Amino acid sequence: MLRRCWLGAAFAVAFSAETYAETVNILMETVPDTEYVKTLLPEFKQATGIDVNLEVVNYAEMHTKLVPQLVAPKGSYSAIVVDFYWVGEFTKAGWLQPLDERIKADNIDTSVYVPKLMELVGTVDGVTYMLPFYNYAMGLLYRKDLLADEKNQADFKAKYGIDLGPPKTWDEYLKQVEFFTRDDMHGVVNQGLRPDPIAMEWSNYLFANGGDYHDGNWTPTLNTEAGVKAVEQYATNVNKYGPVGSASFSFDEAFNVMAQGKAYSYITYNFFRAAVDDPAKSAVVGKVEIMPVPGPTPEQGGSLNGAWGWAIPKSSPNPDAAWTFLKWVESKDIAKKRALQGGSPTRTDVFDDPDVNAKYPHAQALKQMLLTSHNFPVFTYTPQLVEVLGRELSLAVAGEKKPADALMTIDAEMLELAKKDGKIK
Amino acid sequence: MSQPIAIESADRRFGWFMAGPSLAALFLVILFPVFWALFTSVHDYTLIAPNFDNFTGIGNFTKAIEDAEFRHSLGLTAFFVLAVVLIEFAIGFLIALMLNTVERFKPLYYGILLCPLLMNPVVVGLIWRMFLHPTLGIVNYLLSYVGVGPVNWLGSTKVAIWTIILVDIWHQVSFMIVLLLAGLSALPREPYEAARVDGASPLQSFWHITLPLMGPVIIVTMLIRLIFAVKTYDLVYIMTRGGPGVATDFISYFIYRTAFVSLNIGEASAMSAILLALVLLLTAYLHRYMRIVR
Repeated sequence: MLRRCWLGAAFAVAFSAETYAETVNILMETVPDTEYVKTLLPEFKQATGIDVNLEVVNYAEMHTKLVPQLVAPKGSYSAIVVDFYWVGEFTKAGWLQPLDERIKADNIDTSVYVPKLMELVGTVDGVTYMLPFYNYAMGLLYRKDLLADEKNQADFKAKYGIDLGPPKTWDEYLKQVEFFTRDDMHGVVNQGLRPDPIAMEWSNYLFANGGDYHDGNWTPTLNTEAGVKAVEQYATNVNKYGPVGSASFSFDEAFNVMAQGKAYSYITYNFFRAAVDDPAKSAVVGKVEIMPVPGPTPEQGGSLNGAWGWAIPKSSPNPDAAWTFLKWVESKDIAKKRALQGGSPTRTDVFDDPDVNAKYPHAQALKQMLLTSHNFPVFTYTPQLVEVLGRELSLAVAGEKKPADALMTIDAEMLELAKKDGKIK
Repeated sequence: MSQPIAIESADRRFGWFMAGPSLAALFLVILFPVFWALFTSVHDYTLIAPNFDNFTGIGNFTKAIEDAEFRHSLGLTAFFVLAVVLIEFAIGFLIALMLNTVERFKPLYYGILLCPLLMNPVVVGLIWRMFLHPTLGIVNYLLSYVGVGPVNWLGSTKVAIWTIILVDIWHQVSFMIVLLLAGLSALPREPYEAARVDGASPLQSFWHITLPLMGPVIIVTMLIRLIFAVKTYDLVYIMTRGGPGVATDFISYFIYRTAFVSLNIGEASAMSAILLALVLLLTAYLHRYMRIVR
C-alpha cells in the first residue's frame, strides 16, 4: 500500500512538473533561418529545461497575428521576431520591452553585430529593443560561367572597350545587362510585383545611382537626377532586357527564371545564394555567384539592407524565459551553428569564423555587402511608404506615369508621413 | 374570446423564447461588429493609438470620398463585378440549360463542375499564377504551339484585370450553374407541354416560359454572386497585389491595406460603411425589382 502511495506521489510530481514546465512561445516566419533554429531547440531544452513552441506562419499572416497579441495587456507570445518594416510602428506604439538593462546585467556584447543591422533592427533612438536575428540584405546574383567564357569576354571588350568581369560599378553592370540580352537569354530578371518586391529591388537602383530616400532632416530626396535615372533604368530593365511579365513577378517567380538559367543576373535577397546551388531547385548549380550591388564608384555599394530582430513584447507572459532564449539563440556558438546550416548571420564574428568561411567561401562577400549596404527609412509609417513606392513605381514601369511625376508623388506622400510621425516639424 | 388571445400570447412568448438564443447570437456576431465598425468610423481610431478619444464626425467619410485612389478602386470594383456577374451568368445559364436536358451521368457532371468551387481562392490564385507565368507557365507554352506569342497575363495594365476576371469565372461559374440548374429542375412541366401543343418553338418556350418563370431565381443568384464579387480580395492579393500600377486595385484590397498596413481602422471602417451602403442600396433595388417581376 505504501509503495503504491509513493509511486502515485512520484507520478503526480512528475506529471505536475511536466504540466507546469516553462514554455517560450514565439511567432516566426516560414523561412530557412526558422528551420535552422528549430533543429537546435533540443539543445536549449537540455541546457535550460525550457520548452520552446514555435508557431510558424507565412509572412502575410504575421502582422495580423501579432498586432492583437501586442495590443493585449497579456499576450500569448513570449518573444517575437520583428521585420525592419515594423520597427517604427512597434516601438512608437510602445509594444516592445527595452533590452538595455538585461543586456547590461548579462554583459552581452552588441558590438559584434554589423553596425548597420543594429541600426536597422536593434536600437531606436538610442534604446535597444531587439537583437538582430538574420539579415536579408540584397545582393547581385550573376552568372560567373558567362563572365568566364572567352568568346563573351572578347565580344564584350570589342563592344564596350572594357574587360568583362564581376561589375565594379553600376554603369558597368548595366552594360552587362544589355550585352547578355540575346536569343533566349535575358540580361536581368526583376521582381516588379507591388508593393514590397518592387520597392525593395528598386531601392538598390536608387542607392547604386548615388541617391537616397531623404536628407539628414528627413526631407525626401527621391525626385532628383539619381532617382529619375534609377526609375528609368528599372523600367528599361523590366521592359527591354527582362522576360515578359517581370513587372508582376514576386521574388520566387523571378528566382525561378534565374534558376532555370534564363537570366544573366538578378538582384535579390542573399539567402537565395544557397538555393542556386541546390540541384532540386536550380539548373545552374555552381554557375552563379553573389556580390554586393555595385555602386556609382568601385568604393561605394548599392545594396539594400534588410533584417529581422528578436524582441520581447511588453505583453509577453514570461519575459525572463524569453530573454533566456534570446541570449541562447544569439550566442556565438548557436549563431555559428545556424550559419553553418546555411543561415544568414548578423554577427561579424560569425562571418569571420574559419569554419563558416571554409564551408561558405562567399561569406566574406556577404559581410562586405552588409558593411556597404544602405538602410531603408525606418519610421512609424515604413509599411505605408512601401505601399506608396510600390504603387508609383509600378505605374512608372507600366508607362502610365513619367518617372519624375511618380517620384514627385512619392516625395509628397513621404513628406506627409514623416510630418505625421514627427520626424519633420 | 379571451382564451384564444391568451393562447396567441403564449404562442408569441414561446416563439420569442425559441428565437431568443438565435437572435442573441445574430446580434453578437453580425449586428455588434457592424455597429462597432460604424462607431469606429466616426473616430480617429488607429492600431497605434487604439482609443476613441477623437471624434471625427463625417471626417473619415469625406476623406475617403475625396481620395482619388478610393474612387478609382470603387469604379474598378464596379467594372469587375459587372463583368464577372454578367459573363458568369451567361455561361452558367447556358450550361445549366444544357445540363437540364441531360438524364444520364448527371451526378458526374455535378461533381466535375463543383471541383473549382470547392477550392480555396488562395489555392486558385496560386495555381493560376503558376499556370500564367509568362516564361515558365503552361498556358503560354500551349499557346506557343498555335503561334501565339507570350502573353503578359499579369504584368500588363490592360490585360491583368481581364486575367483576374477569367480566373474568377473559372472559379465561380459553377456556383451560377448549380443554382440555376436547381431553379430549372423545379420548373413545372405543364406550361411547356401546353406550349408544345400550341406549336411553340424551343426558342419561344425559352423566351416566354423559362425566362419569366426563372426570373426570381436569376435575380437571387445574380444578387448573391454580386455580393460575393464585391468582396473579392484573395485573388488580387495572391495574383497581383493591386498592380501592375493600380490596374487591379479592388476596393476590398484597398480597405484591407488601409486597416492593416496603414493601421487606420477609423478610415477603413468609414470606407467599409460606404461600401456596405452601396451594396445595401443595390440589394434593396434588386429585391424591389424582383417583387415587381413576381
